[in-house]
Amino acid sequence: MREPSDRDLVRKARRGDREAAAALFRRYWRDAWRAAFAITGRGSLADDIAADGFERAFAALGRFDDRRPFGPWLHRIVANRALDVLRAERRLSDEELPDTPDPAPVHTTGDRGLLAAVAELSLERRVAVVLRYGVGMTPKQIADALDLPVGTVNSRLARALEQLRESLEVERVD
Amino acid sequence: MSTELERRLEGMLAATPEPEPGAGEEALHRALRALQPAAPARRGLRTTVLVFAAGIVLLVIAAGSLAAAGALHVSFGAKTKPHPATTQLELPKGANGIAAIVDGRLSMVTKDGFRLQGLPVSTAALSPHALYVAAGIGNSLVAMAPNGRRAWSHPAGGRVVAIAWAPDGLRIAYVVHVGRRFVLRVIYGNGIHDMTVDRSVRAVRPSWRADSRAFAYVGAGGKAILYDLAHQKHSVVTTLTPVTRVFFSPVGKTLIVATPSEVRLGGRTVASGQVEALGWFDGLPVTALAARKGAWIRSLGQHGRRVDNFFVPGRVVALTGGIVVTQTPAKVLAGWGREKTVTSLLRVRPSASLAELEIG
Repeated sequence: MREPSDRDLVRKARRGDREAAAALFRRYWRDAWRAAFAITGRGSLADDIAADGFERAFAALGRFDDRRPFGPWLHRIVANRALDVLRAERRLSDEELPDTPDPAPVHTTGDRGLLAAVAELSLERRVAVVLRYGVGMTPKQIADALDLPVGTVNSRLARALEQLRESLEVERVD
Repeated sequence: MSTELERRLEGMLAATPEPEPGAGEEALHRALRALQPAAPARRGLRTTVLVFAAGIVLLVIAAGSLAAAGALHVSFGAKTKPHPATTQLELPKGANGIAAIVDGRLSMVTKDGFRLQGLPVSTAALSPHALYVAAGIGNSLVAMAPNGRRAWSHPAGGRVVAIAWAPDGLRIAYVVHVGRRFVLRVIYGNGIHDMTVDRSVRAVRPSWRADSRAFAYVGAGGKAILYDLAHQKHSVVTTLTPVTRVFFSPVGKTLIVATPSEVRLGGRTVASGQVEALGWFDGLPVTALAARKGAWIRSLGQHGRRVDNFFVPGRVVALTGGIVVTQTPAKVLAGWGREKTVTSLLRVRPSASLAELEIG
């Protein structure tokens, strides 16, 4: 049997169909969590941010334009929530931050140099990189998700790649 | 065209770990609760409803006039009864709200008719007058409004294990499990300005002083510590260790503390035995001391003088809202007031574990 489309599920969920909402959740939970994890690098934060993203998305489902794809809209909410949380953490003094953050399990992938370089990127560039190469969104989708002009997204991606190349070069020389 | 760097990025990010199944279940529960079915907007139906409502208003005005003139006795239906709940949590008379955590799931009822059932939480606390409930959900501290909607959520960086709402409602003290330690923090009641008070404490619920300017907690060494918010000053209250419970009086500045085997008030030991619970009833400190097949409830007057002493069957879960809450061998929770009348609050499965119960 054909899988129901996102639009079908969204419409049913809007009418209060919990099965449809749960199907939508199951379809996107993994991607939303992975996006949150890739941005924050912490599993515990990813749990909350992805859950928060779904909660906000479902609460706002009535206002969602179902002619647009659900996935990028959800990712926009998740990415913005992750940015908010990280910015709020940055505003706190080091004194107030928990000193034992979750270890980022991507350390085990072996590409530590690249991971460290990605971690050095500014939040805005890191989010663009994660959504492009981690979630697989096109620059246009990222622009829609983050409410930015496509040119800004392309520019962030280009500068991020340039910074990453430079960081990896330095690492190789060292 | 994809460069080598881009391929490396894709490879690295593809190796991102998977979410844990438990987190998904919890998130789904939260997401479904947020779902708001939108009623289809139909002009015809809306018009009919408006005309009907206008008719009702006119009828009410007319009936009111007649009633005022003594010509008509007006009664609008039977007294409203709370909706039958799937949980059997019952609100005691005179209480604003009741919250219980059974098998890690929060159930709550308020006098406004708000019912919450089965929300997975690590801990929870009612705000003053039970207007809000703050709960540890996942690694966040979440406050929920009376209509059941989430008021705010704050990433705590770990599992929240204890929450205490200040009597003025403006602040919340909470203990969070971060790494190998328990960290004590205070956050404003609206979910902003989170600050760390002590980076190493015990997982014991703090207790606020009645003026909301200070609270007591248990430090990592097991001592009771007073934190003064205005001066950001910590002071050890008693060298007695290990303190397992602290409880400020609802009026004044009297603090009662307990170890597993004694209760202290003003530096004096006022009760000895296995302490099951602490509380304040009618301005008097009350303690529950475990006994065979039940517990002795002892209220204490000035200088620890015994004012009342009575036996209740079962395990005492809490002394809250003037009620002794026990879990009997029959696994039925009930409340005993000082008049020793029994009210059923909640029925649970024999194997269920009741972690917390609070009446506000």
